[in-house]
Amino acid sequence: MPVETPANGGYMTAAYIVAAVIYVTYALRLWLRSRRVAGD
Amino acid sequence: MMPSFASARATVRRGRVITLLALAGLAAVYVLALDYTPVELHQGLAQKIFYLHVPAAWTALLIFSLMGVVSIVYLWLHDERLDLFAEASAEVGLVFSAVMLTTGPIWAKPIWGTWWQWDPRLTLTLFLFFLYVGYTALRASIHDPLERGRFSAVVAILGMLLVPFIHLSVYLFRTLHPKPVVLKPSAPSLPPEMLRTLLIAFVVCLLLYLGLVMMRYGTGVAERLREAGGEAGEVADAG
Repeated sequence: MPVETPANGGYMTAAYIVAAVIYVTYALRLWLRSRRVAGD
Repeated sequence: MMPSFASARATVRRGRVITLLALAGLAAVYVLALDYTPVELHQGLAQKIFYLHVPAAWTALLIFSLMGVVSIVYLWLHDERLDLFAEASAEVGLVFSAVMLTTGPIWAKPIWGTWWQWDPRLTLTLFLFFLYVGYTALRASIHDPLERGRFSAVVAILGMLLVPFIHLSVYLFRTLHPKPVVLKPSAPSLPPEMLRTLLIAFVVCLLLYLGLVMMRYGTGVAERLREAGGEAGEVADAG
């Protein structure tokens, strides 16, 4: 009997968005902090 | 010996460039994962979370191991730069852990039917995350730099001891978590497209770590120099 691939693309999209938000938010926060502290 | 304000600034600038490159690399990993890798027959598209979750987990565990080694050397040499490097690494390590601990449950829900299981691998990983939250809180609560460096180095070394248990937990205990497909005694058991994408994603995570840790380290040095009134001296030197 052929195996049916589950339709769960929504979870993948959610994970990709969550990871991007975490990385970009931290990078941005650090960028602003470094500007405040180290100048530039 | 502390670096100068100018060199801290240069480190921050280099860190920014590397971070931008790494974020562009991350976008490329997304494209590779979505377009280049095949869809796994039994897990469907949710399997592609693997290309985010596994490299973030490897990077977090690598960072916490590195922090442990650096902390041992710090206790030996008492070089303030090592303490600042460990501090920067802890914060960046928490970011990678956060990605690992959020993407894991998002994968688990469609595959296991539950967001979370109190199984040894997951529980130990959560403990490690809390340990480094504690490490950061400890640093924030001690004002004397020498005492702060010494106490937090001990915590980082104890945290490092958890890392091998986390890796081996899938062999030592009965666990739902999949066994390693790359970091195992035999050859990796992945199709080449999946393996290539996974390794590229890991390199991108390492690059992101490097960029972020340089920004955080340079900022930490600048903050420390400002606290000590070092900036005035540096500006006077530059003038």
